[in-house]
Amino acid sequence: MRGARASAADGGRWLSEAPVDLWTLARWAGTAAVVLFFIFPMIFMFMVSLKTQPDIASGGFLPEEWFWQNYPDAWNSVAVGTYLRNSIVAAALGALVTLVIAVPATHAIVRYRIGGKFLPAFILATYVAPPIVALFPLFFLLRSIGLVNTLFGMALVYGVMNLPVAFWLLSSFVRRLPEELEDAARIDGAGYGSVLLRVTVPLLMPGIISTGIICLILAYNEFLLASFLTRSESTQTLPVGLSLYQGDRQLRYGQMSVASLIGIVPVYLLAMFFQRWLIRGLTAGGTK
Amino acid sequence: MASVEIRNVYKSFGPVEVIHGIDVDIADRELVVLVGPSGCGKSTLLRMIAGLEDITAGEIAIGERVVNRVPAKERNIAMVFQSYALYPHMTVYRNMSFGLRMRKIPKDEQDRRIAWAADILELTDYLKRYPRQLSGGQRQRVAMGRALVREPIAFLFDEPLSNLDAQLRVQMRTEIRELHQRLQTTMIYVTHDQVEAMTLADRIVVMRDGYIEQIGAPAHVYDRPANTFVAGFIGSPQMNLLPGTLGADGGIALEGGVTVRPDGNLPAEPGRAVLYGIRPEDLRLVGEGEGFALTLDVVETTGREIELFGTLGARRLCVLLQARASVRPGETVWVSPDPARAHVFDAETGVRLDAAGPA
Repeated sequence: MRGARASAADGGRWLSEAPVDLWTLARWAGTAAVVLFFIFPMIFMFMVSLKTQPDIASGGFLPEEWFWQNYPDAWNSVAVGTYLRNSIVAAALGALVTLVIAVPATHAIVRYRIGGKFLPAFILATYVAPPIVALFPLFFLLRSIGLVNTLFGMALVYGVMNLPVAFWLLSSFVRRLPEELEDAARIDGAGYGSVLLRVTVPLLMPGIISTGIICLILAYNEFLLASFLTRSESTQTLPVGLSLYQGDRQLRYGQMSVASLIGIVPVYLLAMFFQRWLIRGLTAGGTK
Repeated sequence: MASVEIRNVYKSFGPVEVIHGIDVDIADRELVVLVGPSGCGKSTLLRMIAGLEDITAGEIAIGERVVNRVPAKERNIAMVFQSYALYPHMTVYRNMSFGLRMRKIPKDEQDRRIAWAADILELTDYLKRYPRQLSGGQRQRVAMGRALVREPIAFLFDEPLSNLDAQLRVQMRTEIRELHQRLQTTMIYVTHDQVEAMTLADRIVVMRDGYIEQIGAPAHVYDRPANTFVAGFIGSPQMNLLPGTLGADGGIALEGGVTVRPDGNLPAEPGRAVLYGIRPEDLRLVGEGEGFALTLDVVETTGREIELFGTLGARRLCVLLQARASVRPGETVWVSPDPARAHVFDAETGVRLDAAGPA
């Protein structure tokens, strides 16, 4: 390291003179391979978004000509903007519903052992069943309260759908929270609700936010329930919208790729924006 | 201000009973220390008084009101935790005002009380800081301050000094004592440190395995331990406990061929197996031929006092000398116990036998 810095000072050709450790090299190569593995579908999709329909059929990696027309076409042929908005609303509202239920529920189950050992296991068990088994019951339930084909109905479905995941994620955060903080608040005169709102929730914030993001992404990506429970452009979500690029005779891969890329943007922004919450520990200094 | 009465209280966690029916009366304005080894139930008892644990059976009354069914938030007591349990997301000021806000105390009154407590605890410059920005000692003070501003009817302390270094612990101990004299409020203090218990308490409650072994003023517990557990637990270095047999003439024949004659009325049961207890400081060096001979294995000096360790029979005996003495390991010294300060316990039950002795 010292050698590298010294040579950087006398000419900037430090890279060539830095001692190259074989192990470091191998680690870099390994990391690059993993990153490439995950990013390749994205690159491929980006390439497809720049190809003409015949070009896609011929199956090369790089486009023969850079065909930017897919971008305006994708926007015009299907209401991408509306679907995107619907997706964001349904997913965000759904995540909110999940958190509002899951935070107090997880706290009660973990802290006061409500439901003993049965309830936590049972909650997780519901997640094991394939979502399609819930399709008909959900449809009839939604219809009975008049929420089929509404964004609010979808938010409700997503909110409930992700409860087991949220419980599972949150429970480890609740377990790590020192119990004495809540004891102290109770002695200080706080009732159950006050303890939860003023002490537990603020300290669980990193856990709540990361759980919220994961639930939001799960709901945002959901296709099966959305395709069945929404019927009109004003309520259909982006995954459903993407399926609409499949016409009667041909699948418009180029435009579909464009819409997919647009769909990814909000999720990436979200993850970047909340990154510090996902790793930050708030409880430092409270108890020793 | 309030008295605290604990009447025949039991506590079970599932099938495991951890407190087996205990009674303690704590007078108004008294500072009572619950002391015992870890797992003796002292913290559980404190948490039951606080309302953080249910009472399995029996009654706890605070200020003559039975509180078995009163939730913690309505008991108007304050508690200082071993871990301090400061709210990490609130400043020192907000930590201290939390209990006042919960009780809807007017803002100017909050400010007045916090200024008062911060002044006593030297926290005035730290009110805007977060707990993570404070040292261990300062955090401890904030925890105390949070209790003080509440002006509760009783204070509970759960090993509040255990996380501090030795010097700070001694300093805070004195401050808690001063605080008690100043506030004249009932305090119940839990510790496993017998020195802390001795120095702080008006009365000590010695607990073991969910039973109370003895209740009394520190000096009384020290001078007249009710049984061998208390005798061994209170006092450092520990009391010497030597097995022996009661003789017909009021003497006790110890192992190693030594006979001692403690004061006090011993049962006239020659041949009964007993434990003879003598504190290290109640043994003194005497001239050759007096008392009994002790060959020293180890000599430790603390600067203030000297501890001599020798073997009598199969038991190690400790002698504590306040004065300087030039003795070396391997040397034989002559030792004599103060008969007025000897203790005699039943060998089997460990219960104190002599009725008289130092009061």
